[in-house]
Amino acid sequence: MNISVRRLPWAFCLVAGLVLADARPAAAVPAFSRKYQTSCQTCHVIFPKLNPFGQAFRLNGYRMPQETAEQVKQKPVSLGAEAYERMWPEMVWPSDLPGNVPFALNTKMANIYSSSVDETGHQVVHNDFQFPQEANLFAAGTLGKNFGFFGEFTWAERPDGGSDTEIEHARLDVISPFGPEHLVNFRIGKLSPNLYDGFQEMWLMTDNGVDTLFTYNPIGFHGGTGLSEEEAGVSLPQRARAIEMYGVAAHRLFYTIGIDSPIGPGGPGGTFGSNSQKDFYARVDYKIGGMGLDGDTTGVQLPPENWRENSLRVGVLGYTGNGKDVNFDVTDDEGNPFKMQDRRYNRIGVFASLYFGDLNLFGVALHGTDKLALLDDTTLAQIEETRRTYDAWFAQADYVIRPPFQVSVRYENLRVADPTVPSIRALNANFSFLIRANIKAMLEYHRDLRESQNYTLATVLRFAL
Amino acid sequence: MRTILCAALFVTATTPLLAGDLHGKVACKGVRDSSDAVVSIAAIPGKTFPAPKEHAKIDQANLVFHPHVLPVLVGTTVDFLNSDAVLHNVFTPDACAEKFNLGTWPKGQVKSFEFKKECAATLLCKVHPEMEAFVVALPTPYFAVTKADGTYHIPDVPDGTYTVKVWHPKLKAAQKSVTVAGATATDFEISR
Repeated sequence: MNISVRRLPWAFCLVAGLVLADARPAAAVPAFSRKYQTSCQTCHVIFPKLNPFGQAFRLNGYRMPQETAEQVKQKPVSLGAEAYERMWPEMVWPSDLPGNVPFALNTKMANIYSSSVDETGHQVVHNDFQFPQEANLFAAGTLGKNFGFFGEFTWAERPDGGSDTEIEHARLDVISPFGPEHLVNFRIGKLSPNLYDGFQEMWLMTDNGVDTLFTYNPIGFHGGTGLSEEEAGVSLPQRARAIEMYGVAAHRLFYTIGIDSPIGPGGPGGTFGSNSQKDFYARVDYKIGGMGLDGDTTGVQLPPENWRENSLRVGVLGYTGNGKDVNFDVTDDEGNPFKMQDRRYNRIGVFASLYFGDLNLFGVALHGTDKLALLDDTTLAQIEETRRTYDAWFAQADYVIRPPFQVSVRYENLRVADPTVPSIRALNANFSFLIRANIKAMLEYHRDLRESQNYTLATVLRFAL
Repeated sequence: MRTILCAALFVTATTPLLAGDLHGKVACKGVRDSSDAVVSIAAIPGKTFPAPKEHAKIDQANLVFHPHVLPVLVGTTVDFLNSDAVLHNVFTPDACAEKFNLGTWPKGQVKSFEFKKECAATLLCKVHPEMEAFVVALPTPYFAVTKADGTYHIPDVPDGTYTVKVWHPKLKAAQKSVTVAGATATDFEISR
């Protein structure tokens, strides 16, 4: 599809198509249930949404606060006595392996009823049993005192019967190698940046991700017109090949800084490292009330219902990169071809998350700027350079009715850069039912608020083992 | 020597309250092993027992209640210690223990509850749903918990005829009349 086309029905199809093809990563990791012999609900509200303890457990590199050897019920395999630490570098620093193969499987089946409007303005309806829609194989655990790993291999079946596979995560964590505990940690690999901590797609309780935040395509003859597809850029990379440093100071202050290959914008077809540049990102948060971001509960009285607390967390985040030498195909209003480069992209946003009893209200507002260079299609000579801006925001309310029953409502708004294209507005409503601790059913309704015939109703069944 | 023998015979013949013991084996069918069954002597008409001043204890360590099954005399106060670096909670859904909920508390702290009625109270932790234990509040101090092989031993039981009950967290309860005379053995078999 030509990304400069501005006919609305086609854009609606794109939104619906993305929803249909969405194979959002699932993230409940029973490997940790096995390791600690604990319930999913120690860390999850309804998987994959994390409760405050689960968030702290994740930031601790998948370790319990002040973890003791007795808490690890699966005895690890020693790769060297601890005394060898004193003999380094004469001997290899000791480590250990998980006692059991640390694999976990998450499977998802869905019935997707979708309605969209085609190019001619006609309504197109699909009612598709996607049994299965995807399966995620996780590998997660720790390697001795200061190292951990996390991997996710996803197999997704497309509606047409084809399938896709992807290594969604493959990373090595270095946990508190020096300094006070929790203050300095590193992650290297393909990862979901902690830039999105609290709203990472893999931890959302909804089946649909926040597409307006992550998959906006800023490239277009008059600026971005809508959501991304293949061969287009994106506003923020959901996953990145990155080196990241993060930590928690004084229990309540969270920070992360990272450097990653330019995936979006900058990676046609989702390729990484398409030029000589690197992207950078950073975020700082502070949490008031509730459990500390490292799991600290000193002086805090928390209710036994571990999804409840009264707290407010606010943060600022930024992402910047250079898409020089990465060419995108665009056309003008008459269909003449050009190349375009996004030579400087900046994103700045704010995040807030309020916990009030059974309610978790959170959202992000993001402002983006793109310095777009229009180039001759053959000579790549620069014709003009323009600065485009867009704004995206969402607000989501998750509410625990009873531990097995939860509802979620999200509103998304995206003002695209092309002034002739109206803002994208979307509503996503979810009802989740935890049939068993590791089996859940969801009913989810996603609606493009600009067009009543553009919606999906998904019935989803997921289980983790 | 004759005097001593006579004295011994006299004591044996004239002391019906002489303490014996009750021992035996509970075969628990359909579970992994025969541990965690509580064997106890039911209420003895006309006889009451004062609650002990000393508190019983249940520890929460490494996300597990210790012990898993704790029999106590009615009126006993049980202290719940948190030995973990994470918050723990103790509550029970059982009305016979007033459906108590002790809230959450951190490592090293203790919360207590007095079991005022006969009850087999299930203890749970809302923070860690896999945690489970039982306090069985009983009307007499004559009780024991079976070992993995099903054996039990209740010492210092006065001779007499009693109703002996067996309770298990997963299996059907059982009871029978037993006459205790000195060291007395009685076995049970319980199943789902």
